[in-house]
Amino acid sequence: MRALGAGRTSLTLKREGSWYKEAIIYQVHVRTFFDGNGDGIGDFQGLAQKLDYVQELGSTAIWLMPFFPSPLRDDGYDISDYESVHLNYGTLDDFKTFLANAHDRGIRVIIEMVLNHTSDQHPWFVESRSSQQNPKRDWYVWSDTDTKYRGARIIFMDTEMSNWSWDPISRSYYWHRFFSHQPDLNYDNPAVREEMWNVMKFWLELGIDGFRLDAVPYLIEREGTSCENLPETHEVLRELRKKVDAEFPGTMLLAEANQWPADLRPYFGNGDEFHMAFHFPLMPRMFMGLRLEDRKPITEILQQTPEIPPSCQWCLFLRNHDELTLEMVTDVERDYMYDIYARDKTMRLNLGIRRRLAPLLDNDRRRIELMNGMLMSLPGTPIIYYGDEIGMGDNIYLGDRNGVRTPMQWNGGWNGGFSTADPESLYSPSILNPVYGYPTVNVLSQKRTPHSLLSWMKHIIEIRRSTPVFGAGSIEFLHPANHRVLAYIRQLGKETILVVNNLSNAAQAVELNLSRFKGNILVEMFGKNIFPRIGDLPYLLTMGPYQFYWFRLRRI
Amino acid sequence: MQFKFCLEAELAEEALLTDEFLRQLMNVGEVDILIGLPTHNNSKTIAPVIRAIQAGILKCFPRERAVIINADGGSQDGTPEIVTGASIDDVWSASKVYALRTLHSISTRYARTPEPGTALRTILAAADLLRAKACVLISPEATTIQPEWVQRLLRPVYNDGFDLVAPLYCREKFEGLLMRNLLYPMTRAIYGYRIHEPYASEFAVSSRLATDFLNQELWNDEWGRIGAEIFLTTTAITGQYRVCQVFLGPKAPATHRSASDIVAAMRRTVGALFFTLDQNFSDWNTITGSQPVSTSGDPCNVKSEMVRVNRKHLRDMFAAGVAQLEPVFRSILLPSTLSELQRIARFEVREFKYSADLWARTTFEFAAAYHKSVINRDHIIQALVPLYRGRSLAFLLENGDGSNDDIENNVESVCCEFERLKPYLLEIWANGK
Repeated sequence: MRALGAGRTSLTLKREGSWYKEAIIYQVHVRTFFDGNGDGIGDFQGLAQKLDYVQELGSTAIWLMPFFPSPLRDDGYDISDYESVHLNYGTLDDFKTFLANAHDRGIRVIIEMVLNHTSDQHPWFVESRSSQQNPKRDWYVWSDTDTKYRGARIIFMDTEMSNWSWDPISRSYYWHRFFSHQPDLNYDNPAVREEMWNVMKFWLELGIDGFRLDAVPYLIEREGTSCENLPETHEVLRELRKKVDAEFPGTMLLAEANQWPADLRPYFGNGDEFHMAFHFPLMPRMFMGLRLEDRKPITEILQQTPEIPPSCQWCLFLRNHDELTLEMVTDVERDYMYDIYARDKTMRLNLGIRRRLAPLLDNDRRRIELMNGMLMSLPGTPIIYYGDEIGMGDNIYLGDRNGVRTPMQWNGGWNGGFSTADPESLYSPSILNPVYGYPTVNVLSQKRTPHSLLSWMKHIIEIRRSTPVFGAGSIEFLHPANHRVLAYIRQLGKETILVVNNLSNAAQAVELNLSRFKGNILVEMFGKNIFPRIGDLPYLLTMGPYQFYWFRLRRI
Repeated sequence: MQFKFCLEAELAEEALLTDEFLRQLMNVGEVDILIGLPTHNNSKTIAPVIRAIQAGILKCFPRERAVIINADGGSQDGTPEIVTGASIDDVWSASKVYALRTLHSISTRYARTPEPGTALRTILAAADLLRAKACVLISPEATTIQPEWVQRLLRPVYNDGFDLVAPLYCREKFEGLLMRNLLYPMTRAIYGYRIHEPYASEFAVSSRLATDFLNQELWNDEWGRIGAEIFLTTTAITGQYRVCQVFLGPKAPATHRSASDIVAAMRRTVGALFFTLDQNFSDWNTITGSQPVSTSGDPCNVKSEMVRVNRKHLRDMFAAGVAQLEPVFRSILLPSTLSELQRIARFEVREFKYSADLWARTTFEFAAAYHKSVINRDHIIQALVPLYRGRSLAFLLENGDGSNDDIENNVESVCCEFERLKPYLLEIWANGK
């Protein structure tokens, strides 16, 4: 029997079938956002206090990174107890209060669920490794040799030499796709599947709206395969989805599977597996296209992206808590990205670049706006990583990915308004440099300025939310001869939006073939100004450096 | 009002690039590298050339912004369509070279009939407008082209600061006779630089040389339209631009050419070279000897195939020319030179000799006559054709069993003769024959 404990009961938001399609997701780590009790670490009390900010920004959902008890050797992705809250972040009651407050504001809550592995401190693993006869022995993947599943790549190649680690206690090897302190659960064992469903049910009963399921391609291992994306893994996932739909309809499942689009497609199944999946290969190509001043990388990957069932959606992001992953690019592209965006090798981690959005874009406001413009207008649900809406910087001298997980910068005062604790006691040093430090970049000062990045982000989110086209509409690329211009038509029902992005640092002229929309006028969606009617000739637009337009087409 | 009219007329006359081409250039935007392909009915050879260029760009300059520009002189065989239709996907599937960027291939028709100089000007004007850092020209008949050619031609300009990259080819033994016997030795002796291919069909130029060259006054002359390549070389030399040579590899043998082709080729090359002497006298008259040019790459040997040349026919054309054009030669050549030519014209093939000394004297006297316009300049060039045939025959005979090295030594000795006799040219240049 699982105790739900005290705390405010959450009002469950109306379970609209496809709320996730029109959502604006704000990704935040509890630890990083706001410290409610003055101990130097962000917590649920603090997060609850800042929900107004999230609401004002226009976000309709929050995605929380792991907040469960954990030795924190992988920032919480090494869970040692699935049904509680890490002491650093408060109590389960604090979580419930936060959840209720979020729902009061119409903000849905998506939490992280790490299905693939646990911490080696988790009681299940402690039991499992205690002896080869332990009843939980088969909850993890054990072997007498470290030669099985040779076809599986090593993901954390900077730190791990093998996917097997020797356990001196039970004198055998255990399987781990990530760090060696994160043993993989054995999903061939029905007891494991049942228990993980119970874990999910626990949080669903509290009222959460969705899960971001971590590392889903790796649930099952089979000899002679890459141990990724196996049919048996999909079976496990479909089984979970079936249970979610039956008992908690309207819950959204988001897949974290860093794969090529064609390999990702099966995760949507026939609309019976995941509702959403991250489009990992698109993100680096947006950065690449911007720097190359060429739409090719973007259109190429989107053209390779298969159709997905109508109930499903891609999740798009510019940056997140991890490195800018370069796994899903060619060697030529990866070399280019490193040279352009991470010339300093300290910025590199695994196969990626551990930097935030603003520093990646040289703090160039026009490029930041253009990238956000594409994020908001390409097909998918956008995710904003906390702090990127104000142009926060990073600290590449902090280890692992901690450089992009520094305290949120609320104002120019003590600890940037994040905590009242001594600066030395913060979970991470705040950013202090003159360009990105909290005296310069903070919420308070940007709130007071109508032309700040924060104000602009609120505006673009408002416009994005003013129409369902961006969330649910179709996309059709135009192919103007000017390759520096990325143009597409988004359409839903009778509503049509034309998006034109100039990826270049210089002004551009572009002629668009809009003949099938002849007779329509264009209404620019930010300023509401009218542009000339579409006629017989190609539609000529001149665009400033990194400028983008969103036009609503109207037949008047 | 009248002034305005004149200005408009002038502007209208100077519209080298069509509006449609300008629109295409706008879409391409600024580039780092421009590859120019002057074409005219090259549909049989152009496709592999394009593929090699694309592969060269993708392999060696994957990050650079590049464009392939075809300047077509009125092809009727679909050549421009082959250029614009060439897809980099073909390169990708053939060589697994991945394209990071869009690679444009665009085409413009600059005239209804081919004019090599206008094609070059069109390509350089596009390079200038697109601010290309380096521009390469490739012949559409370069069927021996390898993707590496693109790198070899571009890198000295793009990375090493050279302004003109001239090619060096591995030629069949008896290919390039005009280059080996006249254009190279004479350019070398006159301008003092050992550029083996002063009139090249493949070369690379820097943006600053291209811009300077575009601003020359030659474009409205006939030479600008038909023989601009040699002006490019002389502009680079006289402007003290940095020049180098690179070995490219085997050059495709010339396809069969008729007698009228040789006359046209002589006009385009030798005529243009003679014309530059007039233009640049103050630059070359004090130069003595010659200096080597920075050269890179590996020379290679071409296995020579048996060349079938009708030697008797060559001798007969030479002898007939000497006889028939005697009145013309009297106005061009010194009596001693003419008399010597008449003497050798009586030789049968097996004893035929046309020495480097006599050949150099002949050529210089023609150049001086051209300078003074002793008769119609066009006729002067045409009159040189039978003599060139005689020298070609002598070259064939001198090198019949020679190795490639022997031939190169022979060419070197011809060059030395030209250099030795340069004072003679200066003398007749000033004083007449």
